[in-house]
Amino acid sequence: MSKINITNFTIDGRSVTANHGETILNVARREGIYIPTMCYIEKTTPCASCRLCSVEAVGVDGFVLSCNTPPTEGIEIVTNSDSLQTERTNIMKLYDVNHPLECGVCDKSGECDLQNKTLEFDVSQQNFTARDQERSIENWGLINYNPSLCILCEKCTHVCNEVIGDDAIDLQFGGYKSKVVPKDSDILDCTFCGECIAVCPVGALVSSEFQYSANAWELSKIPATCAHCSAGCSLEYEVKTVGAATAGQSEIMRVTNNFEFTSLCGAGRFGFDFDKRDVKDVNEFNKAIEKFKSANAIKFTSMVTNEEAMILNALKEKLGLKLFNEEARNYQKFMRAYSKVSGKLHHSATLDAVKQSDAAIVIGSRISTDNPGVRYALTTASRHNGAKVIYLHPMEDALMQNVVTQMIRYEVGTEEGVLALIAKALLTEADLDETSQNFLNSLDDGYLCAESNVGEEELEMIQKSLRRTKNRVIILGNDVINHDRAENIARIAALIEEYTDFSLLIVPSEVNTLGVSLICDLDEETSVNSVVGYNAKADYTVASFGEADLNVAALNQQEGTFVSVDNQVLPTNVAIAYEGYTLNEIAGALGVEAEYSIDYTPQLPQTSGFKATAFDDLENFLTHDGKDVRGYILDNVNREKSVKFEQIADLPEFNGTVIYSSNPVLQFNPYTADAKQLESDISLRGSAQFAAAARIADGDEVEIQTSLSSVIRVFKLDAELKGTVALNPNFDLGLERTLGSYRYEIAKINRVSN
Amino acid sequence: MSLEQYKDRNVGEQNYYMVDIEDYPTTGWGKFTRVVKRTFSGELFVGLWVVLREMIKFDIHTVSYPQEKLPIGPRYRAVHKLLRLWESGYERCIGCGLCEKICISDCIRMDTKIDENSRKEVTEYTINFGRCIFCGYCAEVCPELAIVHGGRYENASEQRAHFVLKDDMLTPMDLLTQQQEYPGFGAVIPGTDKSVKKTPLAY
Ligand code: SF4
Ligand code: SF4
Ligand code: SF4
Ligand code: SF4
Ligand code: SF4
Ligand code: FES
Repeated sequence: MSKINITNFTIDGRSVTANHGETILNVARREGIYIPTMCYIEKTTPCASCRLCSVEAVGVDGFVLSCNTPPTEGIEIVTNSDSLQTERTNIMKLYDVNHPLECGVCDKSGECDLQNKTLEFDVSQQNFTARDQERSIENWGLINYNPSLCILCEKCTHVCNEVIGDDAIDLQFGGYKSKVVPKDSDILDCTFCGECIAVCPVGALVSSEFQYSANAWELSKIPATCAHCSAGCSLEYEVKTVGAATAGQSEIMRVTNNFEFTSLCGAGRFGFDFDKRDVKDVNEFNKAIEKFKSANAIKFTSMVTNEEAMILNALKEKLGLKLFNEEARNYQKFMRAYSKVSGKLHHSATLDAVKQSDAAIVIGSRISTDNPGVRYALTTASRHNGAKVIYLHPMEDALMQNVVTQMIRYEVGTEEGVLALIAKALLTEADLDETSQNFLNSLDDGYLCAESNVGEEELEMIQKSLRRTKNRVIILGNDVINHDRAENIARIAALIEEYTDFSLLIVPSEVNTLGVSLICDLDEETSVNSVVGYNAKADYTVASFGEADLNVAALNQQEGTFVSVDNQVLPTNVAIAYEGYTLNEIAGALGVEAEYSIDYTPQLPQTSGFKATAFDDLENFLTHDGKDVRGYILDNVNREKSVKFEQIADLPEFNGTVIYSSNPVLQFNPYTADAKQLESDISLRGSAQFAAAARIADGDEVEIQTSLSSVIRVFKLDAELKGTVALNPNFDLGLERTLGSYRYEIAKINRVSN
Repeated sequence: MSLEQYKDRNVGEQNYYMVDIEDYPTTGWGKFTRVVKRTFSGELFVGLWVVLREMIKFDIHTVSYPQEKLPIGPRYRAVHKLLRLWESGYERCIGCGLCEKICISDCIRMDTKIDENSRKEVTEYTINFGRCIFCGYCAEVCPELAIVHGGRYENASEQRAHFVLKDDMLTPMDLLTQQQEYPGFGAVIPGTDKSVKKTPLAY
């Protein structure tokens, strides 16, 4: 960092330095100097509503708000004095005026900032008078709001707007009547991420399901990693024994996170009750062992830990089976093709890079529901860095509306052409090697533009809006990974990463697709008989959800690790003990022996970048200044380069009624489908245009027939959608869920007559 | 029985006096004479005479337990009770969980939930009396004077589970009028009214 960006000053006589953009409070916290705050939250812009963080600056009249003031060169800051103490005490006295004396029942009691600060400043009586207001408790679905407890700190509105992007709540000012209200609406209509609950320093916003069911101090916190998507969010399962008059059983009461620095989506926060309860059934276990012995293949999904993947791979070798997981194999194939051009095994970007970016291109993913972690990172980038977000997808996404600066709707199936056009637009001035240059030169722009419906002007606009940006990322999703032409797409993506300053984020579709793809030697799925399914439907099924022949532990009942989209190996722990059999026990009976599943953690393949670190040596927390020290980042692995491109294939056409396999907000998989708090909308959602094309109407029961399957759903007209592609969920299909194929399909839609 | 002596907690002002006790004998002769004196003092007959006298008077003080029970002093910490509010009959316990937290033998467990009026409701409350040491901390900490030690000192039962459930401890609605304010351990201290300050509120 250059000298100009550093400011030298003193806090309480101590010489300190501030980096560019740091406030006095940031520096004080970094240096371990205490300044009380009530409304400060690290991940948003300062709310600056409490004034508790006031400090004195020598030579400046009055107080300075440390949370939103950057220091000037040489300034002397005093964090504590008699007048500051009086000022802060008075603020706390005002906060306490008419605050209901209900700590006895309040959910926040024991971890309440107001309680703590009231005690800290020793406010033991109220000597101001204020008219008591009639304020009713409001129920907003998963959230309850009690305006009497609200201290109007604005943290909730700030996160909702700046991090989540829903911008669903607002402060309604009116003196003592001020309160938080749903924005432009009577009821709260949002994606229910629950971040506002997390950041609320008092008991004003609480989870309606959790409310009054436990006290903060009775809950054991189990540090874990979210089991729903590849963002790998850190969370804590909070567990308690329930059933006062019975033997009692352990239950997850809620999920919390380190909200100061990280965020969770609603699936992580509210979709935690997918644990499996079972006992050891020896007969079924023996049967399972027989089935494994006589099996020709194991088919599994990526809802497994790295250790389970490792065991499955060991079983493959031991028993000479085939190992099927099309979805992870597609990812593997994609990454192999990528490595050939980039010379590296892992993609270069992380969610942090997205947060810090000022330009992002998203291709081939309905990112807000596919991976909320990426969505929040994009929102943060947009709000805090004014990032240009260019979103290329055949369908508009209402949830991204506030963030996206340029939306380009390409034709279904033309991803290869689209990325080629983008590459050409981004690489105009690059000094390419000959193969790559030839490849770009050979592109038939006219054809690609016409078929993909991406106009020249749109490409020029991309170039223009990227002009003054410095930190850029390109984000690729499921649609390109599972594309027929995935490998060529991967090569083009690698080319962009190599020759521009764009970093690349490839978003795996399932929670541990990335881990599985690095660990397992997968075979192409063919139809053989005697297949054992692990978390997937087969002739004999072993699974942690749905109707399985043998049940195993769910992902919140296991120790193990996942690999996140950040290429980070993240540990997760047992929230609820599982009494039945585990994969490790099955493997043990088949001659692949280890005492615990986590014995495999240090054995994860180092050729893929894993380290030989034992599970118990992996940390699972964020430091007080927000550094993520969970697990470890995969080592860089270099691969041999052999740059070769294929000609762009003829762009396919998807005419007629097309369905897109995409889940509604907060739904991902059978685990979320099981969660009782999460809304479960299993309808086919489409636009009026789609309805006209399919000759169906809102509320009709329809049969959706594709080349692979057929399912009956209710059709729902969605005013936010356009075009002839409808969204078809798959989270509810349990073990029947098929993954690993291109998400768009031409479908025959027939009204079911009854 | 008057509760006067229990309510008067000011021990310092009571009239204590020293009991006149003879020194213990130290020599062999001294011990010998004490044995002889005690043996022939006739105190045995004093006792027999008292019994005889009371028998003739027919004014018998013996309590016919278990039909009759003597009240136990309120400072005694017997099996717990959960009290109700006098006027409304609502349960006093607000489910704050402080008793559960403070309990030294970790034997209180409770289930709470939100009720239809958005209030905290205690759905079950149990004390494992196999572990309770009757220390009285729970009664002392309760901000609502909800959990108290009752007067029930018989802890024998066919079932260990007897009198541990909320229903066993809670004052039944029909006996509300007979509910006694708890005067013992953890009760409001005398003179509390005087130390309560009014919160300034404008209506
Ligand atoms: S918000 Fe805090 S201070 Fe207010 S009642 Fe709840 S715990 Fe007590
Ligand atoms: S739940 Fe999330 S989206 Fe909804 S209001 Fe709260 S922060 Fe905003
Ligand atoms: S609801 Fe909570 S977070 Fe929102 S303004 Fe009120 S106190 Fe602050
Ligand atoms: S008397 Fe003591 S040991 Fe017994 S329940 Fe109360 S606090 Fe626990
Ligand atoms: S301390 Fe009193 S009010 Fe609180 S839970 Fe225990 S009995 Fe109920
Ligand atoms: S922390 Fe600075 S005003 Fe609240």
